[in-house]
Amino acid sequence: MENEFDLKGIHEKIQLLKKVSEDILEEADDFPSLSRNCSRILASIKMMELNVSDIHGHS
Amino acid sequence: MIEEQKYWNPVLETLPQEEIKKLQLKKFRRIFEWTYQKSNFHHSLYRKAGIKPDDIRSFDDIRHIPTVEKSMMRDIQRKDPFPYGDTLCVPLDEVSEYHQTSGTTGQPVYQADSWQDWEWWSECWSYILWAQGYRPSDRIFFPFGYNVFVAFWAAHYAAEKIGAEVVPGGVLDTQARILKIQEVQATAMMATPTYVLGMAETARSKMGIDPASLTINKITCAGEPGASIPTTKNRMENAWGAKVYDHAGATEIGAWCYECEEQSGGLHINDGFFLVEIQDIETGETIEEAGRMGKMIITALDRYAQPCIRFDSKDLIMWSSDPCPCGRSFQTIKGGVIGRADDIAKVKGVLLAPSAIEEVVRGIHGLSDEFEVIVDKKADIDQITLRAELIPDARDKEDSIKIQLKDQLRLKTNLGYIIEFHDYGTLPRHEVKAKRFKDLRKTMS
Repeated sequence: MENEFDLKGIHEKIQLLKKVSEDILEEADDFPSLSRNCSRILASIKMMELNVSDIHGHS
Repeated sequence: MIEEQKYWNPVLETLPQEEIKKLQLKKFRRIFEWTYQKSNFHHSLYRKAGIKPDDIRSFDDIRHIPTVEKSMMRDIQRKDPFPYGDTLCVPLDEVSEYHQTSGTTGQPVYQADSWQDWEWWSECWSYILWAQGYRPSDRIFFPFGYNVFVAFWAAHYAAEKIGAEVVPGGVLDTQARILKIQEVQATAMMATPTYVLGMAETARSKMGIDPASLTINKITCAGEPGASIPTTKNRMENAWGAKVYDHAGATEIGAWCYECEEQSGGLHINDGFFLVEIQDIETGETIEEAGRMGKMIITALDRYAQPCIRFDSKDLIMWSSDPCPCGRSFQTIKGGVIGRADDIAKVKGVLLAPSAIEEVVRGIHGLSDEFEVIVDKKADIDQITLRAELIPDARDKEDSIKIQLKDQLRLKTNLGYIIEFHDYGTLPRHEVKAKRFKDLRKTMS
């Protein structure tokens, strides 16, 4: 089935989001509220990777 | 707009099978490499078998990797990093969720999940809920004891994730739960088949409430095969006036398969997140053809803290050749999880699956939802006793129901039974999972 989604474009945005989140996390060693929320964001980003990034080369 | 979308993931769920296979191989290699590097237990297991990550190039290579059984997990747990032992692949302080198996077959197995893995659990459940018609407009009641067992925990988090409203019915008793469903006008709920039927019986007999008059329009079951046994499913659907859907999952595995809104008689495997293999119970040969039952070997392709690689689940399943009209390209298994390899009893030389008896009992009008099966020996000969209850309106039909039962059981299982009818309401009622099959031969020898 042809899909109408620009998976490559979405994948690139996910990677951008991941990079920004990782950068914030690096700065958050002594900032628990930033660090823990960032960790949770990264877990959600991983789910987007499973749903899009992993498959964009296969669709 | 989003409510009308049929698939949780419109790309993955319709990906052609040949692409799904490539994806599975890629993901298998990734989780295998991770586990080989991080888990002492797995590293040692694979090193003894002479298998390294670079050796995995095809599905045939995967089939040569040793399987892992629950008993192996028990042996390595309760050690450092406590209590998970050598399978833990992340630092202990990254573990955010503890759950354990029920321990019905021995010492419970502990399961660690990082927050990412817990997100993954609820992601798997989101596929299930969306496929079964759950949407942000739903108000979902959870009538289960929130405790150490994973049960519907991840479904709760998935319900939040898909945007639905969650009503936790944790410590309430059955009557209070029914009243709460009525009070908040819940549209859906989740429970074991035993409890779905038990709640309906309580509503009718103790509260004078017809459960079908409540607002529940869909129910998702887990923990027992009932929702894939047509006669049990019919009883639940008729009692509640709701659609009843099956799903299968396990603490060590995740939520790996589900029935969709089409209710076509099969369950979809979430092929994007799991690799399922079926093996012949006796020879270990891989089964690829439809309609032949075997035990499931499963890999969770994205679970990292305490991985699940080629886990010998003992679940009995068979491939279905019937495509599902829903359009998902995920493979289907016919009739859900048929039973467990260690539950199949040999009686008078015949293999007997308890679910076959359930299918017959639940299909006979005049019998209550409860029954028990006792297997014992008399003068060295196996005998099976079926204890059932006649509902009050059917007492004058005892003889004809007994004949019907004997005939259908003989037809379905190739065995003869002693039938005992007990007074309505006297057989044990079960809150969660029922143990209705008792093989006393093991305690007699």
